[in-house]
Amino acid sequence: MANWVPLWLHRLGSPPVFYRFAGAVRPWALGLALVLGAVALYAGLFVAPADYQQGDAYRIIFIHVPSAWMSLFIYGAMAVAAFVGLVWRIKIAEVVAMESAPVGAAFTLITLVTGSLWGKPMWGTWWTWDARLTSELVLLFIYLGIVGLYHSFEDRRQGARAACFLVLVGAVNVPIVHFSVNWWNTLHQGSTVRLVGPSHIEASMLWPLLTMMVATKLYYIASLFARVRADLIASEGGKAWVRDLLVREGGAA
Amino acid sequence: MTPGSTPAACAALLRRDLTLAWRRRGDIAMPVLYALIVATLFPFALGPEPQLLARIAGGVVFVTVLLAVLLSLDQLFRADIDDGSMEQLMLAPQPLALLVGMKILAHWITSALPLIVVAPLLAGMLKLPAAALPALVMALGIATPLLSLLGAVLVALTAGSRRSGMLLALMLLPLCVPVVIFAAGAVAAAQEGLPWIAPIAWLGAGLVMAVVLAPLACAAALRIAMDT
Repeated sequence: MANWVPLWLHRLGSPPVFYRFAGAVRPWALGLALVLGAVALYAGLFVAPADYQQGDAYRIIFIHVPSAWMSLFIYGAMAVAAFVGLVWRIKIAEVVAMESAPVGAAFTLITLVTGSLWGKPMWGTWWTWDARLTSELVLLFIYLGIVGLYHSFEDRRQGARAACFLVLVGAVNVPIVHFSVNWWNTLHQGSTVRLVGPSHIEASMLWPLLTMMVATKLYYIASLFARVRADLIASEGGKAWVRDLLVREGGAA
Repeated sequence: MTPGSTPAACAALLRRDLTLAWRRRGDIAMPVLYALIVATLFPFALGPEPQLLARIAGGVVFVTVLLAVLLSLDQLFRADIDDGSMEQLMLAPQPLALLVGMKILAHWITSALPLIVVAPLLAGMLKLPAAALPALVMALGIATPLLSLLGAVLVALTAGSRRSGMLLALMLLPLCVPVVIFAAGAVAAAQEGLPWIAPIAWLGAGLVMAVVLAPLACAAALRIAMDT
């Protein structure tokens, strides 16, 4: 068997290689995300039938639910990257973890805002101290704490490693917060989409939702790669490959 | 205890920290004074009706104590990092986690224990029914070491950074949400005459976990933040 997969992964750990790889992948991910997002939005807003109970107001789920999934998915991805970065001291993994945090925070904020927009007509209030809302808010605070810690160090690398540690502490904390606030107070409806067993959702509503989920994942990749590229240029500013890059780009322009 | 052994080192560190705190007795009073001031402000802001105060007393005492602990946490490693004794602790042959655990214990004795002592006074000022007092003191007795341990991990992370005050609050909030929920839940249950041992047991479980894991995490965080 060819061992090109581990070899390729190994090479991807080098900043210049990752920089080129991210630059090549980013336009495709972004383009596909925009196309899929547009299709999912059209299908969600015009094709899918109105809900028998919530009318058209339910259509916010096509933004709200994928964002909520992303807020947790990005935390998971960030935790894996942070663990890899801390254990094997791979610089790229640290940068990926750190640049995931603002994207995750943005998705968490979108989830909270769309949720409160939906809550006003449905629950009659913008905000309620429900378990899911509270844990999402706490998740936002965790993201902001990670971003804040990363930027509070003089030395980027040291800040990244401290913040990566905080990511892991948060990863232990998120389930604890989730269960404790559930015990405390709950109002939010249960999950309708399930990985195992039948989903409690009409197929015509499900497929735009899943399309939007793929679109948000691709958008995350595009956004993450753009941020990682910028971070690499900034932190590797003195290295030869950045200088070569600048000379080449400057020569081309 | 043979000199140089791990128990001797732990005892020496504990004695040193307590002596240092005792030499600056004024600082010990600061968190207590702060808690007293914050608790006094609530009746002014909300009105002095005893029913209203009794309803919120448990929660106010917890939040006040939490803020006071948060305020004192910043000092946990500051002096040791500034004068270089933290590097000595890291180089010591004894496990750093144990030594850091001793520092956290000393910090808890000097900053949180006085708060627990005045907590019944604060609760009395806020008209908490006397029946809920045992629950309050017990919940505080378990919640404050838990907060000190969790906070120590975060303080260790910010040890090498420029600014930490607000950042520490932002990072501690998610960690202390479950603690506040269970501690205040126990007092609320006691106030309504319900059995309140279950939330206390949850807190105790959390404390047992934190006693084992937090010093290890704190030592790892210190090594990262001090970049050794």
